[in-house]
Amino acid sequence: MAILNKKQKVSDEIPSASMADIAFLLLIFFLVTTVFPKDRGLPIVLPEDQQEIEIPQKNILHILINPDGTVGVRRGDSQDEAIYSPRDIEGVWRLEVAQNPNLIAGVRTHPEAAHRYMIQVLDALQTAGSDRISLQMQDG
Amino acid sequence: MALKGGGFERKSKASDQIPSSSLADIAFLLLIFFMVTTVFRTEQDRQIEWPEAVATQQIDEKRDNIMYIWVERNGDVWINDRLVPMENVSDLVAPRWVESGRRLRISLRADAQVPYRFVDAVQQEIREAGAIYVVFATDLERRMMRERR
Repeated sequence: MAILNKKQKVSDEIPSASMADIAFLLLIFFLVTTVFPKDRGLPIVLPEDQQEIEIPQKNILHILINPDGTVGVRRGDSQDEAIYSPRDIEGVWRLEVAQNPNLIAGVRTHPEAAHRYMIQVLDALQTAGSDRISLQMQDG
Repeated sequence: MALKGGGFERKSKASDQIPSSSLADIAFLLLIFFMVTTVFRTEQDRQIEWPEAVATQQIDEKRDNIMYIWVERNGDVWINDRLVPMENVSDLVAPRWVESGRRLRISLRADAQVPYRFVDAVQQEIREAGAIYVVFATDLERRMMRERR
């Protein structure tokens, strides 16, 4: 009997004191490894079908993007074209829209021009607060 | 001898320790909450060079209502990990547009160097499908020296 009666010193329960630590460790792991998707960009609304309307030439600022990234700006029906870099468009738009609040930006990109030149111009226009933008492609 | 606490000495029955036995439960609850709400990407990212823009905005729409169209440098269009011929893009966009109740945002993830004719072709396809909300995916550009007019 002496041997059988020996008191067991080791607890038969799982230690629960460190449970919180384990849970927090897992929690922090998931928090750190979660990657939030980067859903961001420059929003634009395309015209719906049969929604194309004629705009008087004087209300259009033609912005022509060339394959080399230079930007030609032509006002309405005039023929003279000024060449700018994409970053100057913001200032150009601010000046033009101050004179004519109904102005619409007609961005026409050359088929071979890189996408980022169009993005630079769109960026400049949106930074300047323009929301009337029409995106087209030059015939080429 | 002045009485401690002005004679109001009373033994408080409430413990002054924050109960820590439920700490694990709180932690597990948070853990399970985060595990359940995490949405895993089902789609692989394509390798593209992101164009940069200062006016970059967050898309303010549910994940379910965002559709990604990737345009690679050589003009290949990828949707849902599949190479899609240009003329089939509208067939994929149209059902999503109807499903979303005309709220679908299309995140157009085009490589910075891709010739614009491919981007324009995708836009025509999107219009053909009836969708109108397009977001040109860009990276936020941080410009140190920005001239203001």
